[in-house]
Amino acid sequence: MRADETSLARLMVMSQKGDRQAYAALLHECARWLRRYYSRRVAPAQMDDLVQETLLSLHNKLASWDSSRPFLPWLAAIARYRWVDSLRRLYRADECTLDTDLIGHDEEPAIAARISIDRLLGALSDAQARAITLVKIEGLSIAEASQATGQSESLVKVNIHRGLKKLARLIEKA
Amino acid sequence: MPHSDNLIADLVGQLEPVRPLGFARGLAYALAAAALSVVAIVGLFGLRPDLAVGRFDPMHIVSSGLFLMLGIAASATVVMMSRPRVGIAHDGWTWVAATTALLPVAGVAVAISRSADVFSAQSVGHGIECFATGGAGAVLVFAALTAWLRKGAPTSPDLAGLLTGIAAGSFGIFAFGLHCADNDIVHIGLWHSAVVLVMAGLGRALVPALVRW
Repeated sequence: MRADETSLARLMVMSQKGDRQAYAALLHECARWLRRYYSRRVAPAQMDDLVQETLLSLHNKLASWDSSRPFLPWLAAIARYRWVDSLRRLYRADECTLDTDLIGHDEEPAIAARISIDRLLGALSDAQARAITLVKIEGLSIAEASQATGQSESLVKVNIHRGLKKLARLIEKA
Repeated sequence: MPHSDNLIADLVGQLEPVRPLGFARGLAYALAAAALSVVAIVGLFGLRPDLAVGRFDPMHIVSSGLFLMLGIAASATVVMMSRPRVGIAHDGWTWVAATTALLPVAGVAVAISRSADVFSAQSVGHGIECFATGGAGAVLVFAALTAWLRKGAPTSPDLAGLLTGIAAGSFGIFAFGLHCADNDIVHIGLWHSAVVLVMAGLGRALVPALVRW
């Protein structure tokens, strides 16, 4: 069974009041939701780390949700922030060795289209989105991405750099 | 999900009740800090002579009103930014900022047209006094908004920092404007606006590292 906005919001209200049973249920539901949310946009090897980092952020920033506002857009903002942060860390560490197939499942409910990562990526230019997807998500080298896109290697790097900066600015807006 | 299960168990064990970051409470903190700054500056330096006898100068009302509105708009945006949500654009403050930017634009234009010596020792000395005291008057709001952001989850720390500086500078110079009796647009447009600009730069430079999460 998948929890909906209303029941997640109710669990969150109880969690903010210190109800541990509700909080456990909320975190399990959020972990499931995050796995679907990140599917196809995170290498499988990094999925666990990212989901856990996001749950930790949720825990640390529990007070930043207001019960007068919807829950999922709040969770999505935290998830996007952690996702962009992970891409930037990859960018700085230059870890581009992802390998397995990245086929995911389109299980997002319609309401999630507005808050999806695809929508965030869609705010980039095609060249920026393609460079980030190939190098930072699918794990191609800069040279391979250059061949696949027809962009020069330096242009791929520029598109990644500019794209990541733009993603960071658009986390809530896009 | 064995890894997540372990983490979830830990997090559940650490759960304590939290008080949600309400918008009204956050804005009230910022306004209270601004009010304290006003009380401190007026208490230390005194009220403008015309205000003290109940007279109002149009230039003072307009310029102080613009700084006050910019302070409120930037503070409100900072408070909203502490509570993230996909689907919201934090750009309403830009209209107030653009309107307030008329002050330095007018100041420069009038200074050029007058051929006034805006860099005379007297005007620079007076300008530095306003700049320094207005900047000091910004500290409380700067600290209050930064502390609020640290409790929250701003997803754009750079913008949040910039707005924290703008809010603090605007309230700081609004407070000092209650003492400064100079109604000249050149003085207000250059020196009073400089407080907002410099505090914005400081906020952009200092706050992101303090509120990143």
